[in-house]
Amino acid sequence: MTARLRVDWPACQGRGLCFEVLPELISLDEWGYPVVEGEVPRELLGLAREAARTCPTLALRVVDAP
Amino acid sequence: MNPVLRVRPSGGPGGPLLDVRSGPFLLRDLVADPSLGRHRHRAGPLARPSLHGLVEDLAGADVRGRGGAGFPFATKLRTAAEAGRRREVVVNVSEGEPASFKDAALALTRPHLVLDGAALCARALGTRRVHVVLPGDRPGVAAALRRAVAERVQDGERLRWRLHTTDPGFVAGQGRAVIELLSGRPNLPVTAWAPEARAGYRGRPTLLSNAETFAHVALLLGAGSASYRTSGTADEPGSRLLTIGGESGRPVVVEATHGTPWRDLLDEPVLDRPVLVGGYHGTWAAPGALRDLTLSRTGMAAAGLTLGAGVVLPLAAGDCPVHRTAAVTAYLAGQSAGRCGPCRNGLPALTDGVRALDEGVDVSARVGELTRTVTGRGACAHPDGTARMVRSMLALFGEELDAHAAGDCTYRHADALPGPRSRR
Repeated sequence: MTARLRVDWPACQGRGLCFEVLPELISLDEWGYPVVEGEVPRELLGLAREAARTCPTLALRVVDAP
Repeated sequence: MNPVLRVRPSGGPGGPLLDVRSGPFLLRDLVADPSLGRHRHRAGPLARPSLHGLVEDLAGADVRGRGGAGFPFATKLRTAAEAGRRREVVVNVSEGEPASFKDAALALTRPHLVLDGAALCARALGTRRVHVVLPGDRPGVAAALRRAVAERVQDGERLRWRLHTTDPGFVAGQGRAVIELLSGRPNLPVTAWAPEARAGYRGRPTLLSNAETFAHVALLLGAGSASYRTSGTADEPGSRLLTIGGESGRPVVVEATHGTPWRDLLDEPVLDRPVLVGGYHGTWAAPGALRDLTLSRTGMAAAGLTLGAGVVLPLAAGDCPVHRTAAVTAYLAGQSAGRCGPCRNGLPALTDGVRALDEGVDVSARVGELTRTVTGRGACAHPDGTARMVRSMLALFGEELDAHAAGDCTYRHADALPGPRSRR
């Protein structure tokens, strides 16, 4: 199992806080919505969870993926 | 020439007509009598399949979902069975794609074949709950299925049929949007954290598929199943429905076995024109590309084409694929539910880009970048499908884009030549 980042797109309002917490894996598109790298390396797992907690609309999740 | 039955999906007098051509299985011996009595006389009594037997049969015949994604139906059924008890069956008859009429054709000519398939799956799954999702913008189709369900209830079938009607619009028929509708929430796509077969309606295992898929299940288990199983090709037995867009504006629904050459399905002049295969979320086929291909998922995939929900839209004479792509993209942008940021912002930007290409501004790099930006970034596949269609235009019609950039259009130019087929 690897951890991945997934966005709940209807919930995401493009506030960009996830990008500020985790620029290693998240960038913003031209409208301010996150572009996420799928796989989260072990050393960034803590920051990824923090980015998910920081989202004001709870639109970012760290999920297990095969 | 096969006999044609003419039906009216909108119901009532005066609405647009649809031609349904007789075919080998689903559309065999079309008659204007969709009643249960007539159906039972032809199809025989309903089987009582075991779950294991049905999964084996479906896997053996490689039955796949006919809503567009083409997911193996046996896998879906097995997943729903293994995911827990209190299972639900959902028959999706709401063709969101406005160019698709195959499920409308089934509903209006053979509704009980579709409902038999759902009943068989419900029996195998040990549930009595079957939902039927009706298209809100096709009242004739909805009425035909209401009548058919009422007949079955009258006949004493011990299933609890629940009917639901979608809102109009392209994305209302999408799987998750349908689950939302069943749950009493707005009929719009939401993020799926697990497949419907594992956690769908009320979090229960939900076997949700397209009307045509269930009709194939009924064929596989009904009278004459032996000839169905040996038809088509070794890899892809059976048949599929296609909606072929007509130049006259009246689409025709046909059934063809897998392996049928496209030469037998499309008229000669159409084969030499660009054809949008798979509908508005599909891919462009270059002029002449279908000439040597057959109706087969794998063969089409090798040529970079997907059949999707089986919509085939040949361009009319003198119509330009770049111009047409711009119009379809604009339509699709208008059909976004507007809830996912990348789709809400990306599809209008894509529309502007393709329109600029049509007008001769060379922004193909920007358009290509936008197709990548929107892909995979929505609750449903609406942005992905739109991007795929635009990307196939960029890939195939580079020379035409060059002509547009030079202020020309070879398609309209060709059409302007004097001749009996000239339209403008």
